[in-house]
Amino acid sequence: MKNKSKYIDIFITSLSIDKKKFNEKLKYNEIPEWDSIAHMTLMSGLEEGFNISLDTDDIVDFSSFKKGIEILKKYKVT
Amino acid sequence: MTVKSLWFNKPRLVEKVKKFHDHLRKNDGKIGTYHRGIELNYNNACNLRCKYCFTNSPKGDHVKDFLPIPKLKEIADEADELGFLEWDLQGGELLLRPDRLFEALDAIKPDRFYLYVTTNGFKVDRKMIKELGKHGVSRMSVSLDSMDPEFHDEMRGRKDSWRRAMQALEYIQEAGMDPYLNVTVGHYNAKSQDLRLLLDYSKKKRYRTLVNVACPTGMWNQVHDVVCDDEDIEHIRQLRKEYKNLNRNLWNPFDPKLEKIMGCTTVNRMYITALGDVLACPYVHIKIGNVFKNSLKEISEYGFRIKHFRNYSEKCLAGEDLNFIKKFNSTPGKTIFNPVNAEEIFSKEDFVD
Repeated sequence: MKNKSKYIDIFITSLSIDKKKFNEKLKYNEIPEWDSIAHMTLMSGLEEGFNISLDTDDIVDFSSFKKGIEILKKYKVT
Repeated sequence: MTVKSLWFNKPRLVEKVKKFHDHLRKNDGKIGTYHRGIELNYNNACNLRCKYCFTNSPKGDHVKDFLPIPKLKEIADEADELGFLEWDLQGGELLLRPDRLFEALDAIKPDRFYLYVTTNGFKVDRKMIKELGKHGVSRMSVSLDSMDPEFHDEMRGRKDSWRRAMQALEYIQEAGMDPYLNVTVGHYNAKSQDLRLLLDYSKKKRYRTLVNVACPTGMWNQVHDVVCDDEDIEHIRQLRKEYKNLNRNLWNPFDPKLEKIMGCTTVNRMYITALGDVLACPYVHIKIGNVFKNSLKEISEYGFRIKHFRNYSEKCLAGEDLNFIKKFNSTPGKTIFNPVNAEEIFSKEDFVD
């Protein structure tokens, strides 16, 4: 993924997590910072960062850092 | 795997949250005239005697009235059509009559809304929470005044209310609902150590904290010295950065930088009493319609014709804007059940053409 560092930055900023705590195995609800409300902040950060508009189904399916990479491919974010 | 959480399992709600989010993006982060929430005082009876109750429940005001179920169904259907995404069921203390509460929940059909019940927590137990979860409640908001049990109990007028509120939050979290600690912040406590202790506790427990600024309404009608000053408000904004689980209804909930202010949500979050009167918000006791006479759409259109409610305000009109408070929201004798009519308090110049 060419935009990986930007993707990681958005994750860290949107979920307000410590850089040291970040890892690519992050999954929704497995850390306190990524709850259902913070999830929408993350979606907002991704939309603004990559200038895209995510479909509702993709917002619901966005369940992990890795799954997010797959979803973003649909929006030509690679 | 699909994201699992109570409100994420509501497809209609996710769709509405997404629309709201898109609206904020397009509207420079400002709420404008978007329909955000319904706050319903379904019944005003309460088991506590809070010193600053904004509904005058301790005085026994209209404690026997309930909004009729057929009307509630009608309002909920229209609210959904209009795109309202949140529903705050409140009182009084609705857990005093769980049978009536469950009936109301079934009428509202919470699968369409981010539905929460605001409670003092006194009657909360595991069985009750389980039932509320089954009825589609996504969040429970428990009001807390202090980390000092004695102070909280004194403010609430009943012993053991602090311990029960704390216990309630545990049960709510255990059941997988969103636990919210509601705290009222005024000039008297904005910079206090006690507030910090509350915020620390909420953060440590992974709850969310909702700050409601103290409003001189209800039992505090005309008590203007409780209102936060500019320094207090700036302090609360700084706390937002420090405690990322902190929220206010006028802040943009999607802002990753935790800075943007969506604006005062009068009419966006309209308040309906058990008599059907619709007020601009729970703390602005100005009537903009009645659900037995008007549709929500008509009420919203009328409310947003009033410039004070339509125009962007960075300040909460009821709890921060002393000009608004003194001019329009300090009428002696006004209550949620005896509100001031908008057409009487506002002049022609206060309305858009």
